Amino acid sequence: MDLTLKNKKIPKVGIGGPVGSGKTRLIERVVPILIKRGYRCCIISNDVISKEDAERMQRILSTELKVMPENMIIGIATGGCPHTAIREDPTINLAVIDEIEKKDPSLDLIIIESGGDNVMTTFSPALADYFIYIVDVAGGDKYPRKGGLGIESSDLLVINKIDLAAHVGADLAIMKRDAKKMRAEKPYVFVNCQTGEGIEDVAENIIKSILFDKKPIIKKDQKR
Amino acid sequence: MSTNHEFFLMQLADSFFPSGMFGLSNGLESLVKHGRIKNEQDILNFIEQQIEFQLTTCDCMIFLIAMDAAKNENIEELVEADNKFYSMRLIKEARNTSVRSGSQILNCVIQMTLDKKETKIAKEFQMKIKSNETVGTYPVCLGIAMTLLRIPSESGIRMMLYSFSQSVIAAAIKLGIIDHISGQKILTKLSDKINIISSTIKKEPLYNIWQLTPLTDIFQMIHEHDVSKMFIT
Repeated sequence: MDLTLKNKKIPKVGIGGPVGSGKTRLIERVVPILIKRGYRCCIISNDVISKEDAERMQRILSTELKVMPENMIIGIATGGCPHTAIREDPTINLAVIDEIEKKDPSLDLIIIESGGDNVMTTFSPALADYFIYIVDVAGGDKYPRKGGLGIESSDLLVINKIDLAAHVGADLAIMKRDAKKMRAEKPYVFVNCQTGEGIEDVAENIIKSILFDKKPIIKKDQKR
Repeated sequence: MSTNHEFFLMQLADSFFPSGMFGLSNGLESLVKHGRIKNEQDILNFIEQQIEFQLTTCDCMIFLIAMDAAKNENIEELVEADNKFYSMRLIKEARNTSVRSGSQILNCVIQMTLDKKETKIAKEFQMKIKSNETVGTYPVCLGIAMTLLRIPSESGIRMMLYSFSQSVIAAAIKLGIIDHISGQKILTKLSDKINIISSTIKKEPLYNIWQLTPLTDIFQMIHEHDVSKMFIT
């Protein structure tokens, strides 16, 4: 093992948001961009009642797109307490991270997906260095205005499914105005995870804010 | 004797303490799904049987051995007990969760008690985990943690049995089998049994440790292959 990597802590991004907001789809879209840029990622997917999301990502990212090995996507069932698993008692997630860091300290990034939760979602600082909160316009344009820890305290707010705005009577201008007001200087991005619109911006934010634009660590003979 | 250990006991027994136990049903989810457990009485029976045939004869014994070994700073005995317990956990998910929970509890308690000289053995054991010389199962790490916090073994056993019961009951409430009042009634009914075990249990040598809960084991194995599940095991 490369001794410089032995005690390296791998940066961690937490992704939270309500059920059906597009957390899994966002990861499926962002990870191939990061991998293309040379960053090696691992994904931990917390799911409330199954490992459905982890298995879906394994199918899409490993089997179909072949961008990462299946064992780099780990599913955790949280027993109906999605917020407990990422905030009050992140024990199991931390243990899995320890295992990953021990197994492959040369990884550039670990992405932790929360189970679908409410607007008060936050990640334990012990678990995530950077927190992305995702909502979708189908929940109504009131979402950013209503606030909550996810909307207000996340490092990046992602507003998904912008293509549905016209169909559900949501005004994107109002969402933009309220996101700006509620989050002061913190960034927000409008995306369409289905088409990929806006996803480059999310990847850019991750690279600049948590990877600090540093070049990926490349191990000898390592296929990316 | 300082009564501070009572405070630490409450701290460790609190569901707010980061142990990862909220994600376990200890086999209950699968037994409920297959119609083996349906009501308050079934849950009480299930907990009593698990206490009698698994916790008292195995988990608590390993815990007592670990407490003594930690007090005597006997690292070899800690490693031996740890490996024994790991080898006796037949269910993969239960084995993995025990290790994940144990190592994180140990780390948390070491961070809580950095100024104490007793952390030496805990740190030594943690190094053994990091260097893959041992795994760090829940009862061994809990035994080390209790020793660090100077909690008497009787209280430690009471806490282990209470935490197990509380974890199963919490899972039953989440699964919708019982309501919150029934949960408290079950705990109350268990209190005499738990108190008697706590005050009479004696440490046995490692070779005398056993467990016999085949039905629960089989249903936990089935649970590992379930597509939809709320709990880790």
